[in-house]
Amino acid sequence: MNSARAEPSAPGGVSHLVEHLFREESGKMIAVLTRIFGLEHFQLAEDVMQEALARALQTWPFYGVPANPAAWLMRVARNLALDVVRRHRSFRDKQPEIIRLIEGDSAVAEQPVFSDQEIADDRLRLMFVCCHPLIPQDAQAALALKTLCGFGIAEIARAFLTSEAAIAKRLTRAKQRLRDEGIRFEIPAGAQLEPRLEGVLQSLYLLFNEGYKASAGEMLVREEICGEAIRLAGLLAQHPAGNQPRTHALLALMLLNAARGPARVDADGNLVRLSEQNRTRWDAAKIARGMFHLAQSAAGGQLSEYHLQAGIAACHCAAPDYTTTDWARILSLYNQLAAMDPSPVVALNRAVAVAQVRGPQAGIDAVAQIQSQGTLESYYLFHAVLGEFEAQLNHWAAAQAHFSKALELVEMKSERAFLTQRLRVCAEKISARCPESSTSFVPTIERSKINRERAKTYENK
Amino acid sequence: MKTNNQSGYMLLFIGMDWHKGLSPEQMQKVSEDWMAWFQDLTQKGKAVAGHPLGPEGKVLSGKNRAVTDGPFAESKEAIGGYFLLDVATIDEAVAIARQCPGLPYGVKVEVRPVLSECPLQAKLPAEEQLATAQ
Repeated sequence: MNSARAEPSAPGGVSHLVEHLFREESGKMIAVLTRIFGLEHFQLAEDVMQEALARALQTWPFYGVPANPAAWLMRVARNLALDVVRRHRSFRDKQPEIIRLIEGDSAVAEQPVFSDQEIADDRLRLMFVCCHPLIPQDAQAALALKTLCGFGIAEIARAFLTSEAAIAKRLTRAKQRLRDEGIRFEIPAGAQLEPRLEGVLQSLYLLFNEGYKASAGEMLVREEICGEAIRLAGLLAQHPAGNQPRTHALLALMLLNAARGPARVDADGNLVRLSEQNRTRWDAAKIARGMFHLAQSAAGGQLSEYHLQAGIAACHCAAPDYTTTDWARILSLYNQLAAMDPSPVVALNRAVAVAQVRGPQAGIDAVAQIQSQGTLESYYLFHAVLGEFEAQLNHWAAAQAHFSKALELVEMKSERAFLTQRLRVCAEKISARCPESSTSFVPTIERSKINRERAKTYENK
Repeated sequence: MKTNNQSGYMLLFIGMDWHKGLSPEQMQKVSEDWMAWFQDLTQKGKAVAGHPLGPEGKVLSGKNRAVTDGPFAESKEAIGGYFLLDVATIDEAVAIARQCPGLPYGVKVEVRPVLSECPLQAKLPAEEQLATAQ
């Protein structure tokens, strides 16, 4: 049999789908179905979504991908939903109303079943539900990934470096809360909108940090988490209810940090410091998008922490290399950030900028001035930063003490290797009693740690 | 067809609930792999037909021609679809079945020869020859 002939085969066209299509569409389907069934039938919405994907899985391999796969899925989900409403006893009272809602004016075939606007509204409603202040913070992230982003439990567990059972428990707890508190499937309006939007931004920020924060392994999954946080923030920024300068600032800060992702890890999976990153590997498209949203965020008089953090990230992205970075501007942004957020981690980041502008002794002084330094004691970067400042001043014994302490606190392989190397230099310098400095390297804390306190104060409101 | 007493092999895909618990990402991956697999077989002329089977149907049985909903007690045992392969040997059919992207998720593949005529008839020409020779 001659297989070289390129004539079209019986099953239709393409075998490849848009990347993450099922994930993306499942998020849309769940949002729409939740509106149809009501938030109390959340599980039903998930089941119908799953069944719609199953129908695709059963038929597409044989017949090929339909011309508009997204519309196909939504249509199947709609038909399955109609079926459910007709069969389920709990819908009996509202049946005609719901059926009208589902059928809408979509009698014309090939017409999208639900308009883009309807879907966008429903996804935003779902976003406000997932990020509701009455749902515990860690459950919010899991719920958002499961429902809005179409992640499976195993995928969420892998991203959070925890067990599937732990994630399942969080989800159950979150859904319980939804029922118990009678949380509504709606976009908050009026005076409600402002604080609730703040909560959503906060949750997306934490979600992003969860993906960005560099702990051991699983970089790929974590990049996806960052990608999802960016996607959701993008949806929010596009919607009239979320189109606020702060939303754009958050989006800019995510994009400008994520843009550096490809250069943050070397071939062996080790973290690469900002000063040593190959900047040609930074994602130019993300930087451009980030700069665009940073410009958008300047509309109006608002200046949020997201603005300042985005501004700092922009300084790094705009610099051709580490030494020509506009440290004076970064310091000024950190000064403002420190005034807004008294977190010691922000103050530590600021100290690094101080040292870049005014020298290592000024850096040490800035560290000494940090309020509540005690909370930093267990943070390895605190000791590593001080070690670098002392090393630059040729205070090798002091540097050695700081690096040793840092090494005790860090688990990450790449960081351990770096600190061990710094300790070797210290030992050489001390034994040679050589007064020269061999390095001008200062590690940079790329980002502030997650500030969970803020999330908590919000919950108490 | 390859030989005159059978016309290829059929792959029967058994199980209709194996996708339960898969994430959307996994389902997309299996869909794509399965699609590429079937397309490749079709282009090479190895697969000549293939269809998915729906989950609901009827079973008729007995003298009374009774009709019941079915066709199966367990969706785990139900046939979800089939390929008809134009290959000469069961070994080749098995080698193809081995590539089924659903196997790691619990799909079972049954490989069965498709018979085209009564196998006994294949012997007839020889017997006829014998008869005419006498």
